[in-house]
Amino acid sequence: MTEASGPQSFMRSKDSLLSQEVIVMLVTLFLCVIFAVTLPGFATLGNLLTMSNSVAILGMLSLGMGVVVIGRGLDLSQITAMAVSAAIVCQMIGSGYPILVALLAGLAVALAIGIANGLIIAFIEIPALFTTLASGLLVYGIARITVLDGFISYIPNGNDAFLYLGQGRLFGIPFPVIVFIILAVLVHFMLSRTSVGRFIYAHGDNADTARLSGIPVRPLTVFEYCVSAVIGFLAGLVMAAMNASMNTQVINSTLIFDVILVVVLGGISLVGGRGSVWSVVVGAALIGTLLNGMIIMNLDSNLQSIIKGLVLLCAILLDNFLHPRNEETARQGD
Amino acid sequence: MTKKNVMSRLIKSIPAVAALVVAGGFAADAQQLAGGKSSAELRELVDSKLAGKTVAWMPTTLGFPLTDMWTHVMQQEAEQMGMTLDVRDPGWNPDTMVQIVNSLIADKPDVMIVHNFNVQLLAKQLKKAEEAGIHVVQVNMVSNYKTGAYVGADWGQIGRLVGEDVVQACGANSGSSGKVAVVQGDLTSAASIEQLAGFKEALAADPSINMVSEQDAAWDASKANTITATVLQQHPDLCATFGFWGTMQNGAAQAVKAAGKTDQVKVYASGEGNRQDCTNVDDGLFYKFLNYSAPKQGEAIMSAVSFMLQSGLAPTDIRMAHYSRPFWVTKDNVDSSMCFDVPG
Repeated sequence: MTEASGPQSFMRSKDSLLSQEVIVMLVTLFLCVIFAVTLPGFATLGNLLTMSNSVAILGMLSLGMGVVVIGRGLDLSQITAMAVSAAIVCQMIGSGYPILVALLAGLAVALAIGIANGLIIAFIEIPALFTTLASGLLVYGIARITVLDGFISYIPNGNDAFLYLGQGRLFGIPFPVIVFIILAVLVHFMLSRTSVGRFIYAHGDNADTARLSGIPVRPLTVFEYCVSAVIGFLAGLVMAAMNASMNTQVINSTLIFDVILVVVLGGISLVGGRGSVWSVVVGAALIGTLLNGMIIMNLDSNLQSIIKGLVLLCAILLDNFLHPRNEETARQGD
Repeated sequence: MTKKNVMSRLIKSIPAVAALVVAGGFAADAQQLAGGKSSAELRELVDSKLAGKTVAWMPTTLGFPLTDMWTHVMQQEAEQMGMTLDVRDPGWNPDTMVQIVNSLIADKPDVMIVHNFNVQLLAKQLKKAEEAGIHVVQVNMVSNYKTGAYVGADWGQIGRLVGEDVVQACGANSGSSGKVAVVQGDLTSAASIEQLAGFKEALAADPSINMVSEQDAAWDASKANTITATVLQQHPDLCATFGFWGTMQNGAAQAVKAAGKTDQVKVYASGEGNRQDCTNVDDGLFYKFLNYSAPKQGEAIMSAVSFMLQSGLAPTDIRMAHYSRPFWVTKDNVDSSMCFDVPG
């Protein structure tokens, strides 16, 4: 069995059969078996679809974050981009603007955030961690003061076409899952079959070498953060459609950590240059299974947080073990 | 101490407190208020007690219709009474809440009004505030330490009222599965703890009712959606779901709608009656909504402040409460006047 870890297979001569993706897949299967045996109703098609539905948004966000992390970056403002752009769409629809205008406005806001992040990180060379942390807070504050009425923006009645995005089903599969699958295929295509994708891997693996080889590293950085922000916007639309509202308080929640958890867990190392869409899928599957099992077991939210925290810790330790620090592999936070 | 004990003690203390207030009024100003000029004199007396006083107000966060409406009404009432309202917004951050209360204790306003995020966070500080001579009013969500006044819903009563309706809708003679799910708010908030207790008390009357889930959604609609979707998956014959806040339960209602079970699953919620709550009832997303009316609470809060200041009593000598009167909003009676829109 060869692991699917991106096109840089020629660089991974040290990899054994047990790459992180495979380990996580085995753990997921193990959990599924245990839950199937001990929890009634777990091992049904309906539950599988519900489980995928609840993790679809997390999966989408992780795809965007994955692209940035492969480029050895980090986008802590992704949830802000998601919530603010989606809230603007909801509010504009509520104020009577046509849906298309509202969507374009939201998309413009997301792109603006991505471009700003990329420019600051690439040209002013402030580390991604600080840039995106600051830009997230700034954009949220500005949006709250100027555009948004309160924390929650509702989608008024009569917009069932829009709500279908979050609540509809196609051939029995919930729409958010379908959107996630389409997005995963597109991102996988970009990462593995286009030159831009190769450049992103090169950028993440060694930015200086990439630059010396003639790769336009700075525009590439802007592109990576735009991808993250726009995918955040799409995820926000799905979330708004699911709940017929957008609660911008989600920015203050632990969602960003859940996204990084899925990315790191699945095998996209914070080192950069490694991992693929499959890593995100596998990570999302584990978190989704865990979450679903914990809800069925009626565990209270504090216990759920503890378990998720432990899993994140194990994932980071595993990441450290498989990709030990050396001069080549400086990573975010070093 | 159970809710009943506390309530009966408070009720028994009302005549005593009333007598104290009257006596205090007389003791403070020994003039007889009688005759043609007595109205003007009464007005003067009250103004002398209230004008220029500062009232500090810290909700859990601004930005929700609940707290924005309270603030709006409180500002209007404060203006009417000649008092200044100083609004502090902790943005739902517990650390900031602690810091704000500390700085308020140092600033020494005449009254401090607090909306407690959970029962433990501010208990010690509220005691300190009262001992420093600041009147403290707690709104809707209490701390474990009770202060001069509580204005808000009687959560035990809310839980019981909903529970009794659920027993009728899903109980032994209803022909349904008897399965009920609860979506809690925050496990450590008074609103959650006491509503759950009242709800369970009412459900105990009918052993055929089975509570299949009691997860908490941290007051977030998106989590409520995920939880309810999973519960519906496990229990497709679910009869009812009760959420402790309409804004949060909106998410659960969407999950029920997405599963195509709006006709089967009765979605209950309690809340302050913002516009979306009534819209949800009108659209059939909520089966029944128990409304404790934020605008009316805003007025009650300032009445309590006014009487506390007029009494001339020390903060630690007053223990009183005003419990909001809840009313049902159902498809049959829903009317736009039952819910509010935040002005401005």
